[in-house]
Amino acid sequence: MTSVRLSSDEQRAGTPSSWLRLAAERLILSEYLVLLLTVVYFLAMLPIVPSIATPSVMLDIVNAMAPLLVVAIGQTFVLIVAGIDLSAPAILAMASVVGASVMTGDDGYLMNSPFAVPGGIAVFLVIGIAIGWLNGVCTARLGMPAFIVTLTTMMFFSGAAIWYTALHTDASSIGNLPPSFIAIGEGEIAGGFTFAILIAAAVALVAHFTLSRTVYGRWLYAVGTNPRAAEVSGVPVRSAAMWAFIIAGLCAGIASILYTGRLETGTPVLGQRILLDVIGAAVIGGVSLFGGKGKVMWTLFGVLFLAVIDKSLQLLGLALSSVFAIKGGVILMAAIIDALRHRLLVRR
Amino acid sequence: MSITRRSFNLGLAAGAASAGFATLSHAQQGRKVALLFDSLVSPFWVTGLDIMRDQVKKRGWTGLEAISNLDDNKQFEQVKAMIAQKVDGILIIQTDSKAVIPAIRAANAANIPMVHFNRPPAASDAYSVAIQADNRKIMQGTVQSLVEQAKKAGGKYKAALLIGDLGDVNAIQRRDGFFDVVNQNKDLIEVVARISTEWNADKAFAGLTNAIQANPDINFLVTSSDFLHPQIEQVLKTAGKWHKRGEEGHVTFGGFDGDEGAYARLKDGYLDACGVQNLFLEVDMAFQAFEDMWAGKKPDKLLLDPGFVITQDNLAEKQDQMWGFTVWKKQHA
Repeated sequence: MTSVRLSSDEQRAGTPSSWLRLAAERLILSEYLVLLLTVVYFLAMLPIVPSIATPSVMLDIVNAMAPLLVVAIGQTFVLIVAGIDLSAPAILAMASVVGASVMTGDDGYLMNSPFAVPGGIAVFLVIGIAIGWLNGVCTARLGMPAFIVTLTTMMFFSGAAIWYTALHTDASSIGNLPPSFIAIGEGEIAGGFTFAILIAAAVALVAHFTLSRTVYGRWLYAVGTNPRAAEVSGVPVRSAAMWAFIIAGLCAGIASILYTGRLETGTPVLGQRILLDVIGAAVIGGVSLFGGKGKVMWTLFGVLFLAVIDKSLQLLGLALSSVFAIKGGVILMAAIIDALRHRLLVRR
Repeated sequence: MSITRRSFNLGLAAGAASAGFATLSHAQQGRKVALLFDSLVSPFWVTGLDIMRDQVKKRGWTGLEAISNLDDNKQFEQVKAMIAQKVDGILIIQTDSKAVIPAIRAANAANIPMVHFNRPPAASDAYSVAIQADNRKIMQGTVQSLVEQAKKAGGKYKAALLIGDLGDVNAIQRRDGFFDVVNQNKDLIEVVARISTEWNADKAFAGLTNAIQANPDINFLVTSSDFLHPQIEQVLKTAGKWHKRGEEGHVTFGGFDGDEGAYARLKDGYLDACGVQNLFLEVDMAFQAFEDMWAGKKPDKLLLDPGFVITQDNLAEKQDQMWGFTVWKKQHA
């Protein structure tokens, strides 16, 4: 295999092949690679499903991205400290049913009260923070592996969400939610843009600022890269890691508000199948599973990539086997390109 | 070979005309309908989808498919995608009866008829049509048939009922249909076990095992769905209770759905009666509802499939209407 050094030599020689190779390397190493892949995929699908380029479908893609982006941003914080949070779907479900039980017009705890919606929203957030805190205490303070802790909290709270729903109602979900709450998930601000997009954008901006402009953000990267070195340098490693889990829980709580509002229903199976999309979006975007590397923008690109693939396959209306094959193939291709990028970086 | 401007323009015009013709002929060929399933986890849904595909083809329509994998949010996205594809109708099998309401509203706003197959949505101001088996009546007929057989055989019966997920209206109606008949025959049947399966085969297995350990004299068993037959067979075999009709120790056994396992067990003499959802009729009713709505009619929100009960006595006469027989035939071809 030709080395990068040889490429540089060739470049000096100014041959066309060397320019091509250099351009390919730059492209692969670019942090906008996933965005570019999304554009290429979009253009490739355009002749097959022209409706993907209609304003209404593009707005649908952006609207669909909003809650997933919020959960994925929370996951990014945890991945940066070399952790993983598998409990996100359980937080979504638990917050959804408990929050809905507070607001619902069918025997809700704050039914017909002016505090129903604010109270319900507060419950969503508190549940997210509480489960995030539990994850954080077990991993950062007690030194337990994040994989095991969050796997068990996922199991526990998934079961608890079903139990809680059965306690509150004879049905399998909780509906009849206040219109002002439903508007948070699907209500439009203007031109098809929903409140959910606004909330997701606000979360993304705050998260970007925290990671790139604050001391706490630097601590997170330091903890993820080398916790021992970070500790020696005076970084409060345990506390920083614990807060990463709390932020992830809070983000899942916010996402639960968006999903529950959108479906007008609190359901104990909310988000049960999105874990792969949440972690996949962050990792495809470029966030490292080994910690110390990640940006909100990369996660945004990963979420956009998955949302565009999903929407194109939905528009195609293919059988399930074809959908799995195409989605798996496209994600595998993105992962291969990501692996190539890492190899190039190591060589340099 | 060089291409002149004239030949290029002629080619362009011919291309556009043929594309227009293709579009026109497509429009004349038929309608485009979306078939949105939440999963294909049981033979009932797999066979249902096969029948739908067949019917779509026969009617000259085009079918677009999507499966949400039990994800309500994804299914909502799929409905939006089908609206963007300007389908003429959406047939949906939702996971949650309440979470589907925003999707109905979206279809209403786009003026696209929506039909729910086998699972009605929760009550709301949104309009859609649901096709559902008359679960309570079919279960009543099934249990009545078992009671008559039990009366003929004589003796007293201790019964166990495997109940489905009580969040599912189908499960509730089947349970109620069972008790409608059993409560009128308390002198003959005592219900000693109500096993909550939540439509989960493992829970059904564990629940029935416990029930038989606690009540080894159970001799009357009804399941709310035929997909639990393999677990029931295993438990009864282990307990030494898996016997054919006419053999000593036979457990009077009733099922519901009419799948290929139920057909095989009826044929072999282990199952005494089965309430059958007429899947062929339900697909016809669903597609007829589309045609009615396209014609400007407004069908009732709930249309019921009366179903039928199949027993050892009418098996030969009724088996062609049993969807499980079609599957069984294919498997044994």
